[in-house]
Amino acid sequence: MLLAMPLAGIQERPSQDGDRPAAQAPPSSNAIDRWNQMSPEERERELAKLPPARAKQIRQRIQRYNQMHPEEQQALRERYQTFSQLPQEKRQLVRARLREFRQLPAERRPIVHREVEQMRLLPEPQRQARLNSEDFRNRFSADERQIVRDLSTYLPN
Amino acid sequence: MHVNAQPYMQSGVNIDMGAVAATLDYDAELMLRVKEGDGVSFGVLLEKHRASVVHFVYRLVQEQAIAEELSQEVFLRVYRSRSGYEPTAKFKTWLFRIATHLALNWLRDEKHERAQERLDDVSANMPVRQVSDRRLSVEQKLVYEVKLNEIRGAIAALPEKQRAAVLMHKYEEMEYTQIAKVLGCSESAVKSLLFRAYETLRARLAHMG
Amino acid sequence: MNCPIESRDPEMLVALCAGQLDLKTAEALKQHLAACAACRSVAAEQAVVWKALEAWEAPVVSPDFDRRLYRRIDEGARLTWFARFLRSFREMPLRQALPLTATAGLLLMAGFLVQHPIIVAPAAQRQDSVRANQVERTLDDLELLRQFSAAGSASESAHPDAM
Repeated sequence: MLLAMPLAGIQERPSQDGDRPAAQAPPSSNAIDRWNQMSPEERERELAKLPPARAKQIRQRIQRYNQMHPEEQQALRERYQTFSQLPQEKRQLVRARLREFRQLPAERRPIVHREVEQMRLLPEPQRQARLNSEDFRNRFSADERQIVRDLSTYLPN
Repeated sequence: MHVNAQPYMQSGVNIDMGAVAATLDYDAELMLRVKEGDGVSFGVLLEKHRASVVHFVYRLVQEQAIAEELSQEVFLRVYRSRSGYEPTAKFKTWLFRIATHLALNWLRDEKHERAQERLDDVSANMPVRQVSDRRLSVEQKLVYEVKLNEIRGAIAALPEKQRAAVLMHKYEEMEYTQIAKVLGCSESAVKSLLFRAYETLRARLAHMG
Repeated sequence: MNCPIESRDPEMLVALCAGQLDLKTAEALKQHLAACAACRSVAAEQAVVWKALEAWEAPVVSPDFDRRLYRRIDEGARLTWFARFLRSFREMPLRQALPLTATAGLLLMAGFLVQHPIIVAPAAQRQDSVRANQVERTLDDLELLRQFSAAGSASESAHPDAM
């Protein structure tokens, strides 16, 4: 009789209002995907360790990520997964160049972006030739050339 | 906070301190009271050492939230090990031994790549610093932040044990013997650690003079 | 006084800057510095380092630090009743303790679970917990990657903190 006594109280955890429906994290999951799988209590426990302003900012940023178009989010997730597989020093380099890219004047960003994308399509010998060309040197500043060089080498597709 | 031993005796704690009082620091006395169940003494120790532990761990890991989390773990371990506490060293030595152990483990586990990058990103470091009350011009604030990042970078670039030794030596004013007990090495090893650390810091920061 | 550098005792120069020498030793060392350019140079550099380190103030500890700590202590203390329960059976002979322990354990576990239901997430959802700062780092990286991608399209976001 005692052994047959049901163990009361085991229940599934409900989703918090405003969260995405609880689903299994996709194979290419990142820290945010795993964060979304945590219970609301666990998430709040983690955020409670931070200053309130920073915790609030993280909540808002996660919400914006979660509200992205699913296809856009998946593409970004896959890109991040490739990025996260880079060796640590290469990740640091890519981060630095992406930050520098972000600081470029608005009108220069699409131009530099296009150059990076075109460089990535080139076979290595041609890419090197392009990087060493006078035309490339004339069209881009030294900082922009470095951004193009490193991002075309290491930034994942 | 000035603490008088009398209130603790009145709370029912009855420890014969006669045999050990002469050789113990006062913090160790308080910890022995905690061992006997005196929670107020734990509060006194926490009040006294909270800031120095958090600041020490902060300067080691250079992330405020992590520093507070690790520091909480330090005091949690102090509390949980109260029943087996034996005053074989100064209380502060034991406390900082726990703090150093946890902080260095965290540094190794996290392979703190982002901390190095955050040092290059002034905006990522804010709000970290409580600027003194005196009013600073925008330019002065900028100069200060650049200087602060150089200092943080120089410390972060030191090998972990050198870093810990410098922080204990400079900010906690601990003596070589005490630092040696915290790091689990000889006094001469501490001298060597500090010599190399300060030599590196001089090379890196002397231009700030 | 012997030259600290030549006698391989340069920590004296550090101690001088740190104000850790007694008056007599400090005075003797200062007199030596007047005559020794090498030591003077090291002492001057060390003074710069010392002043720089002094300028590095640590942040104020969060006002709820103690509250969070005591909550963690309390959470740990709630589990100890079970340890005390187990201890009471240790002194019994084994042939008595085993069935009694099993029965009592089942009864107590059932009662405990009624009072404190265990919330078990479905297996597919069970994940290792993630730290908030890990999430923040990932958000930073994702934002950098997203901004770069968006730069190539006409609808580039102008807000640097769009995510």
